[in-house]
Amino acid sequence: MKAVNERPQRAGVIVADDDPDVRTLVAIAVARSGLELIEELSEGDSAWEAIQTFAPDLVVLDVAMPGKTGLELTRLIRSDADLEDIHVILLSAAVDEDAQRAGLEAGADEYMLKPFSPRELAERLAGLAEHLLTPS
Amino acid sequence: MTKKLRLAGLWIARKLDTPSPLVKQSATIMGIVGALIVIVGFPEIDIEHHPTFWTGLGFIAAASATATVFTWRPDLARFALFIPVLDLVGIGLFRAGTGGVASLFSALIILPVIWLASGEGRRYILYSAVLTSVSLMMPTLLGLSTPQSSADWLRGIFAPFVFALAAAIVNELSRQGRAQLASIRALADDKERMLQRTVEYAAQLQESEAKYRAFDRMFRSVWAAVTEQSVIGTDVTGLVDAWNPGATRLLGPTADKAEDKMHIFDFHVPTELESRARELNYPPGETVLNPGFSALVESARLGAAEVREWTYVRPDGTQVPVELAVTKRVDENGETIGYLFVASDVTKAREVSRLKDEFVGLISHELRTPLSSILGYLELMRDDEDNPLSTEQVQYLGVAERNAHRLLRLVGDLLFTAQVESGKFPLDARDVPLEAIVSAAIESAGPAADASGIELVEVLPDVPAIVHGDPLRLGQAVDNLISNAVKFTPRGGKVTVALAVQHDRAVVTVRDTGMGIPESELNQLFARFFRATTATRNAVPGVGLGLTITKAIVTAHHGEMSVESEEGVGTCFSLKLPLVPASSPVGVHP
Repeated sequence: MKAVNERPQRAGVIVADDDPDVRTLVAIAVARSGLELIEELSEGDSAWEAIQTFAPDLVVLDVAMPGKTGLELTRLIRSDADLEDIHVILLSAAVDEDAQRAGLEAGADEYMLKPFSPRELAERLAGLAEHLLTPS
Repeated sequence: MTKKLRLAGLWIARKLDTPSPLVKQSATIMGIVGALIVIVGFPEIDIEHHPTFWTGLGFIAAASATATVFTWRPDLARFALFIPVLDLVGIGLFRAGTGGVASLFSALIILPVIWLASGEGRRYILYSAVLTSVSLMMPTLLGLSTPQSSADWLRGIFAPFVFALAAAIVNELSRQGRAQLASIRALADDKERMLQRTVEYAAQLQESEAKYRAFDRMFRSVWAAVTEQSVIGTDVTGLVDAWNPGATRLLGPTADKAEDKMHIFDFHVPTELESRARELNYPPGETVLNPGFSALVESARLGAAEVREWTYVRPDGTQVPVELAVTKRVDENGETIGYLFVASDVTKAREVSRLKDEFVGLISHELRTPLSSILGYLELMRDDEDNPLSTEQVQYLGVAERNAHRLLRLVGDLLFTAQVESGKFPLDARDVPLEAIVSAAIESAGPAADASGIELVEVLPDVPAIVHGDPLRLGQAVDNLISNAVKFTPRGGKVTVALAVQHDRAVVTVRDTGMGIPESELNQLFARFFRATTATRNAVPGVGLGLTITKAIVTAHHGEMSVESEEGVGTCFSLKLPLVPASSPVGVHP
């Protein structure tokens, strides 16, 4: 039994990206969407620890970052029974379609290309907020 | 040198074979000199009639002088028989002067007779007989003596008769001699000619041998110098029979280890050969002893020079990617006697290509990340309701955003061009309605056209135009053409975008009333980074990648692109794509 009940009534988000400016941009979008930012991290290994610890409702992961990559984290999340329901958004500057396909095949729910509009991300996250809080 | 000596020898032989008039005359001269010695030495021998004696000597002297002249004038040789005639007359007079019938020197007559009788032709027998008769009858003719008896008369007939017989024998012998000489000469000439020919052949042979040696040296040095390419020759079964130093360098074994011992397919990855054999799809039942080797030489066997990438395997198991050209070797009758395999190591080329792809990917990634921040934060600034921007600030922000987007497009185009070049052109193809793509492109170009005061006209067909392709890429291609048209058309101009269905093809035309493209530049239009002078002169922004990309997209969709343009009037780009057959309406023309 995870500590879901202990969490506030807002859906929690973990953000991981090695570029601090992009990370902050995502954090701002999360804040504007009304979701709760649990933690933001600059590399994959600490991100995996945080995900295991907090079991967030949603993660925004950079595909190419030090430590575990976004793809690896996605696979780990999908193969963990306690975490598999997490909504995964991958963020990548690689435009080629093979990379996108690889991301979706790894189990990501969405694959977002850089550059992205923080406004659109905030709107998208806000749209997800209610759905995330309602147990499926 | 030897040739000169041989010619000199021949000359002497000829001289002896055909004695000169002086040589022939020498017999008479010696006979007369002998006679004079006898006359001087034996006083009892009288010169009975001096005028006749001296006239005779004079004739003989004249004959000798003529012989001397004729010896040095070979052109007069045909008159040489005149000499023995003079001799006969002279000897007749000499005989008459020294006693006539009783003369000791009657026998001298035989000398010129032999000469005369040896003339070519039987008539000389008659001449000899007549002149002998004249010579012997000389005393009578001159009136020095009168025939006393019938014996005297007979002397003038019988002796010439005998002489004529002798002359006949001499004449015949001479004829035979001449015939023999002629055949000997002919043989000698033949021999000479053959010798000459042999000498010429020998010289030719020597020359061609020298050429062959030079060629052989050249070939050997080239063969040894080719160290960057592996050149391997085999017979028709694949057994190695030629192995250059490049092959040793690339694969390891030396020529003596490989030649006549190893097969070319020993150096190939079996699975590669098998899959190629499957590709070639040898019909079942066809006897192919070694499908792998057959697959390797298939094109070469049919006469084409094939260049493909293969993987060579060294005896130690390591592999090396090669670009391999296979050609057949034929003998002088055109029969295939084997194959030639020329391989270049493409490890480096592949590495360079990989590094380039990696570099472009890296650059793309590294540029996109900061652009994400620039565009993201600009948007935050614009959206900040707590601190609204002034009109001027919004305008400045617009400029920054527009340029960031431009940079982003450039990065995308570069990456895409690199993908096209490396042959990695991802197409997410499906059946798509082209009219929807064209409509969407026109719609998205609307704001830019409005801003530039350009009328944008859309002409669509009544029937659907379904093509098989990647909607995003096709959209990009049409977008490029429309945005180019808008960019290059002055305010107040018109851009017409039309889609039509022609037989089995869909045709998109984008016609503008712009500045046009100089005719001399039309053929370079699709080259990377090419910009028309009308573009640079009019300061239209761009880097020259749009049309390259558009063409690459169209080509990847098995389509065609064409352009017509008139400077100052306008440009029309056409893009033709094959329709999906089911949607092709028969006989419908727009």
